[in-house]
Amino acid sequence: MSYSILIVDDSLPMRSVIKKTIRAAGFGQSEFLEAANGKEALTLLKNNWVDMVLTDHNMPVMNGLDFILAVKADELLKTIPVVVISTEGNESRIKEFLDGGAVGYLAKPFAAEAIRDLIVKFLGEASDDENNVDGNENLDF
Amino acid sequence: MMKTMLTAMKTSISEVMETMFFLPVEFSEEPSIKEIKGIKGRQNKACRLDFSGDRSGSVYLLVPRGLLSQMAENFMGEPAESLGDEILEGTLTETLNMITGNALRKVKAEKPFALGIPKLVPGAEFPETEGTLIIDTPGPQMAIHITLW
Repeated sequence: MSYSILIVDDSLPMRSVIKKTIRAAGFGQSEFLEAANGKEALTLLKNNWVDMVLTDHNMPVMNGLDFILAVKADELLKTIPVVVISTEGNESRIKEFLDGGAVGYLAKPFAAEAIRDLIVKFLGEASDDENNVDGNENLDF
Repeated sequence: MMKTMLTAMKTSISEVMETMFFLPVEFSEEPSIKEIKGIKGRQNKACRLDFSGDRSGSVYLLVPRGLLSQMAENFMGEPAESLGDEILEGTLTETLNMITGNALRKVKAEKPFALGIPKLVPGAEFPETEGTLIIDTPGPQMAIHITLW
């Protein structure tokens, strides 16, 4: 089964690394949408359905927390699971993310396995025929 | 406070460089101005990130271009020759973001720290005052500096 995943991060290399890591974790047939901030992400969500959102917090224009609050205030979008992947991770900030509606939090820097575990936790295990679709990718990104 | 920040920064740099870039690092503390100028004299890229909280300040990161290419290659899993300036600069700013955020998580604070957005700056702006660490890598050295306001 393929999924549609939205990655929101102002860092182009980080978006690329997260995407590669998810593909290498066995979700090679998934489709990815990318946005550089919360505002761009909301625009994408108006016209595209996604199964999951992975968002940074510390971004220009609209940060991750404001983006989560906007998603959770929207009747059509509020059921989409949103996970925060961010360097900002003191206890009170994580509580803000979770109280705002995020279903999980992962601190940067992260091991590739942590991304895989997140995807499996919220979307389920990848099926065998999806594993290593690109052939030359592995978890050592 | 500066000593606490530098200690947290060293742990954070090791974690980020090893986890995301697969590069082991060691540190030279209290480097001389000559050593800092030596890194500033190379082809390099630099960026700055402001933070606020119990204490506010700025963190600067200065990385020689050759090392930045190596980091981007390891990070992206693609040959350095195929990676343009946008990727190199994105790698630089994301590195500073991860290092600073990870370090500040390790510092006990009554008021939580908040990070700004990393900005590219000319290498010449890298401060030559105390609060600097020189980082030895398997390749060229890089440097990080903390200014507390």
